[in-house]
Amino acid sequence: MLGFVIQRLMQAFVVMLVISALVFVGVYAVGNPIDVLISPDATQLIREQTIRAYGLDQPLWKQYLDFLGRLSRGDFGRSFVFNMPVLDLIFSRLPATIELTLAAVFGATLLGVPLGIYAGYRPESPISKAIMALSILGFSVPTFWIGLVLIFTFAVTLGWLPAGNRGDTVTIFGVQWSFLTWNGLTHLFLPALNLSLFKFAMMVRLARAGTRETMLTDTVKFARAAGESEWTILSRHVLRLIAIPIVTVFGLELGSTLAFAVVTETIFSWPGVGKLIIDSISTLDRPVMVAYLMLVAFLFIVINFTVDIAYAALDPRLRTRRAA
Amino acid sequence: MSALLEVRGLTTHFDTRGGVLKAVEDVSFEVGEGEIVGLVGESGSGKSVTGFSILGLVDAPGRIVSGSVRFAGRELVGLGHGALRSMRGREMAMVFQDPSATLNPVLTVGQQMRLAIAAHERVGEAAATARCVEALTIVGIPDAARRLENYPHQFSGGMRQRVAIAIALLNRPKLIICDEPTTALDVSIQAQILTEMKSLAARLGTAMIWISHDLATVSSVASRLLVMYAGRIIEAGPVASVLRSPRHPYTRGLLNSLPSMARPGQDLVQIPGSMPSLANLPEGCSFRPRCPKAQEDCKVMPALTGDGARAFRCRHPLDREVAA
Repeated sequence: MLGFVIQRLMQAFVVMLVISALVFVGVYAVGNPIDVLISPDATQLIREQTIRAYGLDQPLWKQYLDFLGRLSRGDFGRSFVFNMPVLDLIFSRLPATIELTLAAVFGATLLGVPLGIYAGYRPESPISKAIMALSILGFSVPTFWIGLVLIFTFAVTLGWLPAGNRGDTVTIFGVQWSFLTWNGLTHLFLPALNLSLFKFAMMVRLARAGTRETMLTDTVKFARAAGESEWTILSRHVLRLIAIPIVTVFGLELGSTLAFAVVTETIFSWPGVGKLIIDSISTLDRPVMVAYLMLVAFLFIVINFTVDIAYAALDPRLRTRRAA
Repeated sequence: MSALLEVRGLTTHFDTRGGVLKAVEDVSFEVGEGEIVGLVGESGSGKSVTGFSILGLVDAPGRIVSGSVRFAGRELVGLGHGALRSMRGREMAMVFQDPSATLNPVLTVGQQMRLAIAAHERVGEAAATARCVEALTIVGIPDAARRLENYPHQFSGGMRQRVAIAIALLNRPKLIICDEPTTALDVSIQAQILTEMKSLAARLGTAMIWISHDLATVSSVASRLLVMYAGRIIEAGPVASVLRSPRHPYTRGLLNSLPSMARPGQDLVQIPGSMPSLANLPEGCSFRPRCPKAQEDCKVMPALTGDGARAFRCRHPLDREVAA
């Protein structure tokens, strides 16, 4: 196990290094931030001073090495636009996104998996058909459109829920959270619902396919022959047997939603990192883009690692193979 | 010997898109207490479906069309799901062909055994463990207490099948339906398990229905033999008598196709043709198209007739051989 962890840490380091180079080159190849940063009627002297101040007069490889040097001291640089350390900027926005993502992914899983198991267990029942119809809707209707419909219905027409922003927050450990106040919760509900629909549909389909397959196996027949109740069979046998693909997709979804909740965050003016990255792309705020993309890569590495550990916990066969 | 299980006119059909599959047709037999009855036939002859029908475990689209299954004086056909469930495992159990498919790979053996106990009784942790250890010891698993914490993949094939048998024995059922429990095992292990199951049945007074396509295996455990072909019993009688002088041409064909030590090096004798589709059975006797003795009057289904212990479904039975 320890060997496995060390191996993965080394892999992670190499991956991060490669990502940093790719992202750096990629981001620096697009546009010229000077055009955005300096007003067109600035004097040539001011232009050159600014270019030098940001290190933009250096060749690309030199800029990258300087970046790596600062990085090794934990310095991601300063935002061109906000003129504050990039890390502080990202971490001031991250809790909002984490909160929204967790609400969406957990909600989708906790609701989607039981409904999917039911749909797989009773494929012919009208309720199952309704669940499947809902999941097709969740898959095929674009997020931005559902978001707008949700706002129009619940915020504009009915006036039950707010249309955007985070609402009241509570500060815990220096971080602001919305879900702990009633007002914050009402603000969280619509964007989380919007974000979770696609994931819900996916979880329903995964759980349904797994359950249908598992119900036909001898494991289920044998449990039935031993007189175990259908509830025991579903909750103790089937759920455990279909867990691996569900955990895999759960991890992937968690990562990609944390990184790219952009559409929902934009529609609901949710002050998370998704909105930050869109803003920084349009202002060519390179340090923010680089740091953000590296953070995303890092998140995926952490999530994949956690998912691998979860596999071993869920499937004893993997445990022994790894130990051997 | 009073009959523990009495099956009368059991008929199980599967309504499929390609027509009605007559998997089991008018099957009648009984099993006495502590008796071991062998049920032989090739794949698709309806022997497994007969077993599942007795347990009330026929999966949709299959259904018991008519007939009666009386167990210890109680009619099982038409009994509610709950009542059937509480009988399964406690009154009668089933062991399947492939233990690596029947045991749940992600639960420890102990967890699975406790589920089988909990399906019928509330038992304290210590008492449950004691019963699991006892059952594993009975089937010949050494160091049972420690092995409860193991997963199925940590057992060898033969040991895994012993675990499955132990689970079937947990609630001391009066009848165990063994659906080819040795087919997936090595030949040397097969013989071991056979002998052990036979002595186990004698010791515990458990009756068994031993389903197999392998005449040699069945005849070494069972005292009575039922031969099935295309959903019907075509011959029945004490093992020695049926083997010595089969009356139905199909049984004769089966015996002829066995490799025998007496005729080394010779080609095996095959029954020409193959079993008819259960959705499209020939008129009259199902074996007619393959039968060397078929005549015009075979176009009407013959009844199961016979004298005393012997019965056969044939108008032109083979002569009774003089005991050599």
